Parts: sequence; structure tokens; C-alpha cells
Amino acid sequence: MIGGLFFVPMLCLLGILIAWYRRDPRRFLDGPAEDTPLRLTRWAAGLLAPQRAEWGQAMLGELGHIEGRVRRMRFALGCVSAALVLPPWGRAAAGIWTMIVLAAGSVVLYGTMADHYRLGGGAWIVAAILTVVVTGVFLGASALLRRPGVALPGLFGALIIAVSWLTLSGFTFLDQLLPDTVPWHRLVQVIVLPFAVGVAATLWCRDPVAGRRIARLAAIAGSLGLYVYTTVAVAVIGGGGPFDQDGGGTLRGTISDRLANNMVLLAFTILVFPTIGWAGAAAAGSLLRRTPALTSAGPVTPNPESQQEA
Amino acid sequence: MQRNRPPSPQTIKVLRALAADPAQWRYGYDLATEVHLKSGSLYPILVRLADRGLLDTSWEPSQGSRPPRHLYRLSTAGREFVAELTAARADRMIRNPHNRWSEA
Repeated sequence: MIGGLFFVPMLCLLGILIAWYRRDPRRFLDGPAEDTPLRLTRWAAGLLAPQRAEWGQAMLGELGHIEGRVRRMRFALGCVSAALVLPPWGRAAAGIWTMIVLAAGSVVLYGTMADHYRLGGGAWIVAAILTVVVTGVFLGASALLRRPGVALPGLFGALIIAVSWLTLSGFTFLDQLLPDTVPWHRLVQVIVLPFAVGVAATLWCRDPVAGRRIARLAAIAGSLGLYVYTTVAVAVIGGGGPFDQDGGGTLRGTISDRLANNMVLLAFTILVFPTIGWAGAAAAGSLLRRTPALTSAGPVTPNPESQQEA
Repeated sequence: MQRNRPPSPQTIKVLRALAADPAQWRYGYDLATEVHLKSGSLYPILVRLADRGLLDTSWEPSQGSRPPRHLYRLSTAGREFVAELTAARADRMIRNPHNRWSEA
């Protein structure tokens, strides 16, 4: 009940943010013909595999002849669903599905745990916050995924971040619940890993803008992946392992505390990973600018959108 | 390896709409409106039909500021396929005239 009531202000906050975005004059820079259905359809076309690119153009061409906001929106939403299911999946569509699985998985897992252990209204408030955070993360990742050449390296970077984190902290579920007491592990996990991914992305693309996007996507997806893994750990271990004193030494308190620790980890990594990754990509971009030979020798064609900052 | 599964009822609707005037090029949105399908269902069907060689596609030149539009019509193989479907349906109807509800 309390959790349900909490959804209302959270949704109001989301509505305010959307309204704020819509009145932002920068969104009209592309011209007055740009509307939400067109943006959605363009996004859908970008999700398609290269061999299906003609069908993306077909959707855009058809939308150009449809009048009426509701009809255009319905058509555009249909195009998005078509692009997400149409085989073979493009890299971006595969990326979107990965993010959907991670985002939905995290919320469902938390909700299941809160319900199973009857954690009370506070847990549902946290579930509401988690839903909003995860939705924001998904929207952010979606915006990055539609950029050319970002999806695959971004998700690969996320895998590197997540696997390296787990290598240091331990792969077992119990390792996720016990504190890691080796100081340099945190330094590597929080600073070195995302920074290295940002640097590697920029050097690999030889494009600072694409590098920053890849670093952010890797950070976002990696954070969410780690959160899902640690929540699965709580689901599997349950009340096993040493009871948490912060949770009052009870089963419910221990579970609640472990879930809260995971939430803190998500909040921390979702803020720190992208920042550090961005810094790494920016540093490598600065290095590239100082050594033009590196940029000209690259096998990767510079992204035409590089002129526009993400 | 491409699988040639039996066409779904929605695919049959699209094929019949195209077969009504096989020589005429059709727009995607008009087809969707005619067969009461959303674009999310129509485009995967059109893509599969084109992949199987049952559909010819073409581009209508852009008009003024509007983008070029994709056009569709049945290919020769598509017309033969629809004829086979119609014949098979007629055959089933003769053998089992009361089982009309199972027909797409």
C-alpha cells in the first residue's frame, strides 16, 4: 500500500522531468519537422541489422506520408516493436534486449525477494525507486545504443568490467555477500577498470566522442549486470552465510540489509563508473588530438556524428 | 537454412490483399489499414515474404519534401503461391465443408 502510494510522487517526478525535457529549446534544433514518432522510427530503423536497412528506410518513408499525431505515434511504436523482433537482430537490437533483460530482471528479482521475505512497505518504496532508476538507466542506454558502432564495444566493455569485478571479489554467490577487505581491489574495480575501458574504447575507435559513448554504455550495462548478479546471490544464498548484525541478526533483517547493500552498490557504480569511464575516454581523446598520426592511421572511419557532442 | 512454415492467418490476409490486384503497387500503411494489422505485425510479414521471393518491392520517388515511399506487390512466385493456397483451401472445403472456422 505504502509502496503503491510512493509510485505516485515518483511518476510525478518522471512527468516533470519529461515536461522539462520537452520545453528544452535544444530539442527543436533539428527543425520543426522533428516529432516524437519520427525520432522513434529513426531509432527503430537504427536497431535493424545492416541487411535490413532498406526496411528501416521503408518505415521512415511511410511515416512521412501519415498524417495525424496519434496515427503517426501508433505507426512508430509498431515500427519499434517490428525492429526489436525482426531477425536477424542488429547489434543495437541485441543490446536493447540485453538491457531489457537486465533492467526487468533486476526489478522482478527485487520484487520477488521483497514479497517472499515479506520485507514490508519500506522494501516496496525501494522497489519504486529502483524501478525509476532502472528505467532511467534503460533510457540512457537506449540513447547510446542507437549510435553507430557503440552497441557491441559498449556491451563488451560492460562484460569486461563485470567479469573483472567478479574476478577480484570472487565469483561465488557467498563472495558477493562477504565484504572484500583487500584495499587495492576497490581501487582497481572502481577507478582502474572503467578508466581503462574508456581509454581502450577511444583508442580502438580513434574517435573521442564514440569512445565516451562506449565508456558510458559499458559503465551503465556493467553496473546493472553487477547489480543483477549480486541480487541473484542474495536470492540463492537467502539467509545463508553469517547473519548481518546491521539487519538486527534476524533473517528478514539480514535479507533486507543485503538487498540494501546491493542498492547502494548500484547507486555508487551507476554514478562512478560512467564518470571515470568518461574521464578515461576524454584523456585518451586528448592524447589522440595531440598525436594526429594516431587518428589518421585508424581502420575505423571517424563517426560523422563526432561533430555533435552526445 | 530457410524454413518454409505454413503462412500465418495474418500473412494470408496480406497475401490476399496483394492478390486482389496483383499488378498494382501498394503502400505499406494502406495495406496495414486494409488488413487491420499494426505496422509491428505488417513489416515482419512483408520482410519474410520478400525474403522468400514472394514479394516484389520498389521505391516511389520522393514528392516534394516527403521521403520516398516503399511499394509492394506480389512477384510471379507470390501469385503462384497464393493460387496454391486458394486451391488447397478449396480442396479442404470440398472434403470438409462444415469446418469453415478453421480456415484462415
